[in-house]
Amino acid sequence: MLSASNKRLFAAWIVLSAITAAYLWIDHSADDHGTPVASTSATVGAIVLALVKVRIIMREFMEVRHAPRLLCRLTDLWVVLMAAGMLGMYFAGKAVA
Amino acid sequence: MTTTQAPPTEAAKARRVPGQPDMWVLVLVESLIFTSYFGVYLFYRAQHEAAFLQEQAHLDLWLGIVDTIVLLTSSWSVARCVQNARAGRYPAAVRDACVTAALGLLFLALKIAEWAGHITAGHTLTSGEFFTHYFFLTVIHAVHLLIGLVVVGIVVRQLADPRRRDQQVVETCATYWHTVDFLWVLIFALLYVAR
Repeated sequence: MLSASNKRLFAAWIVLSAITAAYLWIDHSADDHGTPVASTSATVGAIVLALVKVRIIMREFMEVRHAPRLLCRLTDLWVVLMAAGMLGMYFAGKAVA
Repeated sequence: MTTTQAPPTEAAKARRVPGQPDMWVLVLVESLIFTSYFGVYLFYRAQHEAAFLQEQAHLDLWLGIVDTIVLLTSSWSVARCVQNARAGRYPAAVRDACVTAALGLLFLALKIAEWAGHITAGHTLTSGEFFTHYFFLTVIHAVHLLIGLVVVGIVVRQLADPRRRDQQVVETCATYWHTVDFLWVLIFALLYVAR
C-alpha cells in the first residue's frame, strides 16, 4: 500500500516519463518523410519541455515544495534564467546566421 | 502606530531546506555553468543547422529516451530512499539507495556502449562540431554521475550503520543525485531532440 507521499512521487515519475515519451512525437513531427529538418518549433518545444521536467524534479523529487519560500522562488527564478539563457542564445545564433 | 504580526502557521514552521544549504549553492552554480555551455552549443547550432542535423542523425533517439527513463527512475528511487529514511524504515531506504546505484550503473553502461558504437563508426570528439559537443557534454555528465555513485555509496554506508545515520546527509546526497538527473534531462533534449 503506497502512502500519500509515495503516490505523489509515483505520479511525478509517470508525468516525467510521459513527457520524455512526448519527445518521440516532436521528433516525428519535425521530420520531412524520415529526413530530419531544422525546426525552430521543435527546438523551442524540446527546451521548454525539458525545463518543465526540471521544475517537476525540483518541486517533487528534491522536495522544494516543502522548502522555505526563498528556495522555492530561487529555483523558479533559476528555471526562468536557464530558459532565457538557452532560448536567447539560440535566437541570437539564428539572427547572426 | 504599532503593527501586529500574525504568528507563522504550522505549515510555514515546517518548511525547511532539504539537505545542507551548501549543496543548494552547488546545484545553482552547476546549473548556471551547464546553462552557459548549453547556450554556446545552441548559438553554434543555430548558425550551422545543416551540419549539426547531418551528424545528429547518427544518434538513436530511442536510446536517449531509455537513458532518460533509467535516470528518472533512479531519481524516483532516491526520493523514496529519503522518505523511508525519514520514517525510520532503514532496510527499505538501503534497498532504494542500492536500486539508485544499480540504475546509475545501467545508465553508464548504456552510455559506454553508445560511445563505443559512435567511435567505431568514425564519429569522435574531433570528427565534427556536433560530436565535439556530444562527447564533451556526455562525458562531463558521466563524470558527475560517477561522483553521484560515490555519494549514493555514502548514503548506503550511513543508513546501514545505526551510529552513522544522519537524515541531513541523506537529503544532501539525494539532492546531488537529482541534479545529475535534471542536467541529463536538459542534455538529452538539446543533443537528441533539438532541431
